[in-house]
Amino acid sequence: MKSALNFEDADQFYESLLDAHQGLSRDQSEALNARLVLILANALGGTEQLAACLAAAVQADKPPHLQQI
Amino acid sequence: MPRNVATNSRPDKKAYQQTKAASGYAFSSGSGYPLPHYPFVEPPELAHALAGGERKRHNIVIVGGGLAGLTLACALNQYGVRALLLDEDNTVGVKGASSRGICYAQKTLEIFKRLGIYDRIAAKGVQWSVGRTFAGNDEVYSFDLRQQSTHNLSAQPPFINIQQFYVEGFLVEQLYATKNSSIDLRWSNRITAFEQNANFATLRIATPAGDYKIEATHVIDCSGARSPFRAWVAASVTAKKGDDRWCIADVRFKNPPPVERHTWIEAPFNEGRAVWQHLMADGVWRIDYQMRPDADPEEVSREDVVRERINRQLGRHVAHDEYEIVWVGPYAYRSECLDQLRHGRVFFVGDAAHVVSPFGARGGNSGIQDADNLAWKLAAVVHNRAPPKLLDSYQEERHEAATHNVLVTNRTTRFLRPADGAERIFRSAAISLAKHHAFARQLVNTGRMSSPNLYSRSSACHSSGGRALQNVALSWADGSPGDVANLLVWAQGHLLLLVFGPLRGNEARRVRKLAQLTGLRSVQVVRQTFAANAKEYVLDTQGHLAECTGNARWAIVRPDSYIAATGAQLNISLTRAIDTARGAAA
Repeated sequence: MKSALNFEDADQFYESLLDAHQGLSRDQSEALNARLVLILANALGGTEQLAACLAAAVQADKPPHLQQI
Repeated sequence: MPRNVATNSRPDKKAYQQTKAASGYAFSSGSGYPLPHYPFVEPPELAHALAGGERKRHNIVIVGGGLAGLTLACALNQYGVRALLLDEDNTVGVKGASSRGICYAQKTLEIFKRLGIYDRIAAKGVQWSVGRTFAGNDEVYSFDLRQQSTHNLSAQPPFINIQQFYVEGFLVEQLYATKNSSIDLRWSNRITAFEQNANFATLRIATPAGDYKIEATHVIDCSGARSPFRAWVAASVTAKKGDDRWCIADVRFKNPPPVERHTWIEAPFNEGRAVWQHLMADGVWRIDYQMRPDADPEEVSREDVVRERINRQLGRHVAHDEYEIVWVGPYAYRSECLDQLRHGRVFFVGDAAHVVSPFGARGGNSGIQDADNLAWKLAAVVHNRAPPKLLDSYQEERHEAATHNVLVTNRTTRFLRPADGAERIFRSAAISLAKHHAFARQLVNTGRMSSPNLYSRSSACHSSGGRALQNVALSWADGSPGDVANLLVWAQGHLLLLVFGPLRGNEARRVRKLAQLTGLRSVQVVRQTFAANAKEYVLDTQGHLAECTGNARWAIVRPDSYIAATGAQLNISLTRAIDTARGAAA
């Protein structure tokens, strides 16, 4: 998994992402995120890489003493 | 009286909504800063008008003696261009509310180097290198700028923190210290009316000794965010109003905290809202607290409320005599940009032209860079080195810069004050990932520090130029140390042609002739002395100057230290590039 900065322009992407969610209901937002996750996962493709990404996302939500990094 | 300070006005609940960006002084308090006072001198026009004399026309009138106006005045003084500077007040800063811009970026410091006040700013101000960002009780990430300094070729540091009134005071003193200064500084001179035709503007000015009128060929409006000229010329403004509210406290601790910049995105001691903390000169700390959007500006600025906030921040009761509250004031942020920075005879500079939130220090820095951009162009036109058309490039270049600054600061505002729902969810996600993954730190947007803007659509820049040249170190022919800023001062407002490497055959003569014809200064840049064969040359032993100009054969550097063009061959392309840089391209 790429932990280092890989965005060409992180600020611009973040802005576009928020713009895409503007005016959506909570359900619509969640659905948009779900579609986006699947599209990005396909863009990455690699099984090991995707597993590492998934694990990192799960880990980041745990309280610090339970995290293994 | 300064226009931004209310007199005995009853606190108005709605005032926060109406508070203008970076000028919300109505509820400011604190022991304040001692400020210098400058003398009012009766303008000669008053007696002249009484005697029935003709109305005097000035070539350049600068309105407002803040960062932008004083930078412009100092630059014009250096170029030997006469100008009148009118300021409605008789001091720097704003009385009782003198704490404003604090963070001066490298490009600005390089301008100050050229203007001769950098050493004073470096001596008085504070350089810091460690920044820490927190969310809740956790540190999200930290950085040490010293570790990045190897990539930096400028003689000036990334930035220096210092109170704005010191910078303004140094600029004023620089003007007064110049023998035969070309700037006529007029304190307590307030513009009360304006009109213009195709050839000149007429200004009515109020002073303690009476009113008078003058005419002006160029009016440079540096009067700040509440400029009356916007309405006088009916300027259209692109604006965005937010509901982000802050309260700023400048405090001086007896036992100061470490010299680090601390940023809390979600501060536990501020109800989960943001807090900024950075050091300025004289051991004064600026602490910015993000407020509830519906907070009462009067209440949040009250001394006991401020002290209670500081108790919560330090996690204990802090005794009154442990620190002094120097200044407190509520702020409401907004962004605004004039669509045209020039209206007839009037040029808008600094806050008069554009207003941004303070994130990334893009307000004062961009005003100073506006002024530096306009100054050499005015000088070139006044001295007949360039056609008036060169002045059009001010709009092209600085409007692009302002638009970029608005875009960048609005992104930070959005990160720090996310809308409920998806915006807040993504922010939480970015923060939780940032603790472990370097990439996510780039998403945590606590401000993108001011850096020189690119000019991608200027009629005065070739596509190979339009970017700033850092103040790179070099050596003079005798081996003594110098830098690009020294070279630009030597060029006295003329374009500077750098020619790299030895000059073959008749190249030296051709360059000399071209310089004479077009009024530019040329300098040969060589790695070692034996390679030099022009009259004026400098040594670039490390090759840093060559690196910063893209290892080209030649580069045209403007008085504002922007590269106008570079090229590989000393041929007709150079002649064309010089015409373009002078605003004289066909």
